[in-house]
Amino acid sequence: MNLDWLDAFLIFGAFKVIEIMGLGLLVHLQLGLTRVANFGVVGFWGLGLYAFGVAYLKVDWPFGDVYQFLICAAIATIVAAAAGLVVGWLISDLDDDGTLVGTLGFATIVVILATTQQGLTGGALGLGGLGFPYDFGRVKTHEFTWLLITTAVVVLIFVYAWRVHRTPHGRLLIAVGANEALARSLGKSATAARLRMMMVTSGAMGLLGAMHGVMVRSLEINSLDVSVTLAALAALILGGTARVFGAVVGVLLTVALFDIVIQFYIPIPDGWNTQALPVAREAVFGAAIVLMLIFRPQGLLGQMRRPALMRRLHGDW
Amino acid sequence: MTGEDLRPQILVRDVTKSFSGRVVVDVDELVLGDVPVEGLLGPNGAGKTTLMRLIMHSIPLDGGRVTLSRPGQRDVVLSATRTSQMAGLGVVKSTQVITDFEHLTILDSALLAVTEARYERPFAAAADRAVRKRHEDEIRHWLDYFGFDDPLAVALSGGDKKLLDIVRCLLLQPAVLLLDEPTAGLSEDHTERVKSAVRELAGKGTSVVIVEHDLDVIWDLCDEVIFMAEGKVLLKDNPATIRANPTVVESYLGAGSA
Ligand SMILES: Nc1ncnc2c1ncn2[C@@H]1O[C@H](COP(=O)(O)OP(=O)(O)OP(=O)(O)O)[C@@H](O)[C@H]1O
Ligand SMILES: [Mg+2]
Repeated sequence: MNLDWLDAFLIFGAFKVIEIMGLGLLVHLQLGLTRVANFGVVGFWGLGLYAFGVAYLKVDWPFGDVYQFLICAAIATIVAAAAGLVVGWLISDLDDDGTLVGTLGFATIVVILATTQQGLTGGALGLGGLGFPYDFGRVKTHEFTWLLITTAVVVLIFVYAWRVHRTPHGRLLIAVGANEALARSLGKSATAARLRMMMVTSGAMGLLGAMHGVMVRSLEINSLDVSVTLAALAALILGGTARVFGAVVGVLLTVALFDIVIQFYIPIPDGWNTQALPVAREAVFGAAIVLMLIFRPQGLLGQMRRPALMRRLHGDW
Repeated sequence: MTGEDLRPQILVRDVTKSFSGRVVVDVDELVLGDVPVEGLLGPNGAGKTTLMRLIMHSIPLDGGRVTLSRPGQRDVVLSATRTSQMAGLGVVKSTQVITDFEHLTILDSALLAVTEARYERPFAAAADRAVRKRHEDEIRHWLDYFGFDDPLAVALSGGDKKLLDIVRCLLLQPAVLLLDEPTAGLSEDHTERVKSAVRELAGKGTSVVIVEHDLDVIWDLCDEVIFMAEGKVLLKDNPATIRANPTVVESYLGAGSA
């Protein structure tokens, strides 16, 4: 594969876009459908990243890649899903503010664990040695291939989210989010519905964390900062929390704009890329959230359009 | 249907509930369901809604016990059962305050009520249409009956939401149905339809308890009336007797209405 035309940074920029899109789609299921405001996205993603890294590097597996990757990625997914279950259970009786604080607290715990468990994680120094689960040539080819594989995973997440809208499961999530007491009186266990949803979405966040670990090939404590959560939320809120395409559109207007368009196609002074731009990016994302919540809380794509969807599914009624 | 004992019954015993120190419900003993349709009367704030919510266990009891008995089945202590399990036991309640699921269409609401839990899991295979197919007849029946001509839209008016609430309850095929002011705000035609639906259901063996300030509905529909005031059940008798009772006339019906 001749990839000379492709800038290595561009691959990373595209990877970030895809990754945040995946997280945004999962937050859409949590916040947009079920109204669970998860401000600890980075916690689930980071837990997956670290569980993957530790399992990959610290366990003496009797087999090599690609099985080693698959096993470790499965561990990352399961660990993150279990965390989703526990956190979901802890916040199940809390209101929106409690949920916010609880999920944020969870993300903080993940960072603290990653920092303090130096023997396992390398602490603040981090840990190198992760790699791609294949070897067929140049690094750039590997990275590009990983971008494609991650894209495939995110496409699957998209298909899942798209399908949820069309199934009884999605209807239940919307009902629980909109009116929990009424859902209960119809015989629905709101708690079980929310826990199942949290388990699935958190597990997928953990898987994306593992995929990230492979791409960057190391565990770095800095990757667990607030920017992951911020980017996913900014994108989704901009695009529209209640729409499947909200995360897609939002990510293109935020992460893709900053990490691809501005970085590569706009002539900006040297040094800005590494210093001013990341700061400006966070500020703009934060401002975007605030402005959207004030002026168009439903996002660019607007409200859920249940009647239109139901007409497509049950038009012959 | 021969004997009264064949009906599902709810036994309320020593149930109390206070809000910030004020006793709102204090019922020593009350059996619901010895006749097909019972009316629950009482002035505003008498504790009627609260009593129903205590039966549904959607608010915690301060004390006492609520038991469900159904012919041929074991008794269930409702006051030790989660609200989300009531519908499965056949105990269903409509809400006094207009309530709905934001964003969901009328058909969504109906489908939600009938869908079994196994189809609602994250990776459940059954498509929405399969679920619809299983319950299409009953949903169609009730939506047509109440005149919902566009079930693919969201219920907008208060009346539609009120009726939709009743439709959801009916689709759950209740053994015991608690209706909290079901006809408040409805047109005359819809009120009549609710009444015949109640009669039909009661005729098939459901025990119906109905709170209603529209007394014509009560006198028309009920085989027995319970009168509540200040959290206590004061009387339980046939409608004619209740109607003539001086306490009821004085404290509730007002002069001249009897
Ligand atoms: N959640 C609550 N917190 C505090 N007080 C409450 C609560 N729910 C009900 N109450 C009080 O309890 C009393 C009984 O209320 P309830 O709603 O049961 O009366 P009701 O008989 O249904 O009256 P209405 O005919 O007006 O519907 C009222 O004084 C009400 O203010
Ligand atoms: Mg009331």
